[in-house]
Amino acid sequence: MDLSATLPGVALDPAAYAVGGRAPRLAVRPASREELAELLRAASRDRLAMLPWGGGSAAPFDVAPERYDLAIDVTSLNKIVEYDPEDLTVTAECGVTLETLRNTLAARGQELPIEGAHATRATLGGALAANSSGARRLRMGAPRDRLLGARFALADGTLAHTGGKVVKNVSGHAVHRLLCGSRGALAVFVEASLKLLPAPAMRRALVFHADAAQLRDAARWADLPRLEPSAMTVVSRATAASIAGLATQAPYVIAVVLEDEAPWVERQTALIEDALGVADLRIEGEPVVALTQALCDAPENWSRRLTLTTAWNSPAALGVIDLDVAPSELVFHSLAGRLHLEPIDALPITEVQRLAGNGFSSLDCRGTERFAPSPPASAVGTLRRRIRAALDPEALWARGSSWESNR
Amino acid sequence: MPLTREQIEELVALLGADAVLASEAARFTYEADALTLDRATPDVVVLPRSTDEVSAIVRWGRAHRLPVTARGAGTGLAGGATPEQGGITLSLNRMDRLVRLDAERMFAWVQPGIVNLALSQQTASHGLYYAPDPASQQVSTIGGNVATNAGGPHCLKYGVTFNHVLGATVVLADGAVVSLGGEALDAPDFDLLAAIVGSEGTLGIVTEICVRLLPKPEAVKTLLFDFTTIEAACRTVSATIASGIVPAAMEIMDRHTVTLVESWLHIGLPTDAGAVLLIEVDGPAVALEAQTERIVALAREHGTRAVRIAKDDAERAAIWKGRKSAFGAYGRLGCGFYIMDGVVPRTRLAEALASIGSMTAERGLESGNVFHAGDGNLHPHVLFDVNIAGQQAAALEVSHEILRMCIRMGGTISGEHGVGIEKRAMMSELYAAEDLATMERLRFAFDPERHLNPGKILPGGSGCGEARAYAAAGARREGSPAQIVGATAGNDYVEGPWI
Repeated sequence: MDLSATLPGVALDPAAYAVGGRAPRLAVRPASREELAELLRAASRDRLAMLPWGGGSAAPFDVAPERYDLAIDVTSLNKIVEYDPEDLTVTAECGVTLETLRNTLAARGQELPIEGAHATRATLGGALAANSSGARRLRMGAPRDRLLGARFALADGTLAHTGGKVVKNVSGHAVHRLLCGSRGALAVFVEASLKLLPAPAMRRALVFHADAAQLRDAARWADLPRLEPSAMTVVSRATAASIAGLATQAPYVIAVVLEDEAPWVERQTALIEDALGVADLRIEGEPVVALTQALCDAPENWSRRLTLTTAWNSPAALGVIDLDVAPSELVFHSLAGRLHLEPIDALPITEVQRLAGNGFSSLDCRGTERFAPSPPASAVGTLRRRIRAALDPEALWARGSSWESNR
Repeated sequence: MPLTREQIEELVALLGADAVLASEAARFTYEADALTLDRATPDVVVLPRSTDEVSAIVRWGRAHRLPVTARGAGTGLAGGATPEQGGITLSLNRMDRLVRLDAERMFAWVQPGIVNLALSQQTASHGLYYAPDPASQQVSTIGGNVATNAGGPHCLKYGVTFNHVLGATVVLADGAVVSLGGEALDAPDFDLLAAIVGSEGTLGIVTEICVRLLPKPEAVKTLLFDFTTIEAACRTVSATIASGIVPAAMEIMDRHTVTLVESWLHIGLPTDAGAVLLIEVDGPAVALEAQTERIVALAREHGTRAVRIAKDDAERAAIWKGRKSAFGAYGRLGCGFYIMDGVVPRTRLAEALASIGSMTAERGLESGNVFHAGDGNLHPHVLFDVNIAGQQAAALEVSHEILRMCIRMGGTISGEHGVGIEKRAMMSELYAAEDLATMERLRFAFDPERHLNPGKILPGGSGCGEARAYAAAGARREGSPAQIVGATAGNDYVEGPWI
């Protein structure tokens, strides 16, 4: 039977929706949330294994699902539903790209507090589902911290809404927040309300060059977190070479981003330069936005990648690994405790053990399963399976079983 | 129903005699939280000292078909800690330690019974503090704050409890102990911790919490503005946000409230003002001067008559005392009043307040307002005299109407107090049947037998046909959307409940 003829929405080329090299049988783009619900009802009747698809900035690199019949492209659901700058909140459909949303808010002096790689095509829904964040993670919070409420579709076509659009709300169970990080394995985000930030009065990035010894010197960095810069990111020489303006002969580059009232930015600058010496480079104003986006994009451009998380918040945390044998590509958003590495096959197992023994744990792994996060402990695993079974009893989301079968 | 002697002996064997309260007098003490209209006596009260003991109690309760309701300080305003269906009240007050502070990485592991303010006091010498500051913070516990996702005046800038919880040890409904989140900011897969915070003890019992601490701001400025109309005060709030400033707090008291507070405390509030607006900014000293000037200029544009800037900590404390005593000031009136916790988009504050005024006046009632203006979180007080026939019923009715108005304006029925018993019936006005059924699915996944704090949050009747393990015991009052207070004349509420 030609299923595509019976499914609502625009039929697309399935090859463009491959995950880990595996293309679905069908790919469809619903034009509205009603059409999305109708599509899900039809697909669930036929028990198709489905995957929601935003900008395709992350999903193609995932491990191929065991069953994958239908890709649901939600990029037509891209309207900004409600935006009143005086409320400092926005409600938008989840197929809108991060860049469109960011530009809309920037025009009114406000900031989208969600960072994602490839913002020109990455969607709001994708960023929420991936729990994506970047260099400014500590300042902005994770997507869940900004998500006030959401409308989402379950596999059976149920459209549900939890939370709201106001900034304070303790009415009912926060299913919308539970979905953050679910990566399309529990529901499709349809519409979301977010708490925004005002754009800072001033932006400045101070770029410092460092060698391994300086990086390891904990005292050097100790005062910086309390000065509350919005980012402090370490990149290796190889990675810096791929970022406009950052190329250097030094082994490491540290970008300290300051976003605040001008007098405080000036004082932060003075205090930081007291501690670290005069910055090797200063970037001012809008180019700082481009820099933070580039820092976010860099690890996404690697075909393989190991991402670790840690509570350590200083560049010196990297001192636990032997920096002489560290992978050539490295991005460490130190305030966020998020470390991206590649090539990971070259990383000696002893170094991985050292990281694990020093408070780093695997958060995500792309293109290899060598260092994937360990499966959750049994009681948590059981709970996760029960939640999946409650929201998707027919196990129709293609990534639904990935934590058991692929990790 | 009281426990049998054998059951009590079993619990004593598990926990020790001093951790099991089975006498009628002791059990009565735990029959309600600060929502005293709803009362239900627990069959037994237990006071565990460890995660293992909590787990043992949950397992024991399950074996005996006795539901478990966790309780912190009991300051909740929605009946979340009231053991509506009897069973076991599990008080976490003995688990009150700061377990480990990591000042360098700015987090701490705490037990759930630690008092909110004590946490900030115990970390102050390291230049750190715990940001969420519910008005009950001198008494309420972090565990209770987690259960209700508590807010506070300063959550405008710093966020609510949820934004400050990094990880938790949780006892699930079957007694299993799980560790969710951790010290790092992020964890893989969908966010179980996010579901736990604010779930009012229905999904699990939190027995250890990793909280994020913040560096204490270098400087604070507290400003008090005097407006002839509350509309102008509300417009100043919106204009401040739109100008790109997010103050630490923005609070409004209307004329009624100001008059009551001033006649009690004599702190120099302008009793002829239509409203006073309290704005606090904090952060690095060098950034505050310019922010303060911009806020003052905006307030002048919106017609403020006067601005008072606190000169020192003592004046700042006096201004805040005025704000935080508002509830007590109403209590001194000697009449009854309902308090709501509705939220509207902050741009609709002025409109909402005008409607509240006319809705109450139409019924011949008085109302007063003191609220978290920066968040759009309203706490209307609707006054009534129990001695005048029909007034209390009219006040209850208008309370419902006010929350319906919040819903119509795109807001919600609770900003920081929670749903508990009190607002449960209104959940079906806020959410569609599919929304509630989806929440019910989540609840079912965590607690299929309805063992933990059964009956709370979700209205009866929705759901996916799961087995209801416990029949509702006793008469249940559905439908009051508001805290009722001071129905007997002459009560002098010097402190608490807190809003």
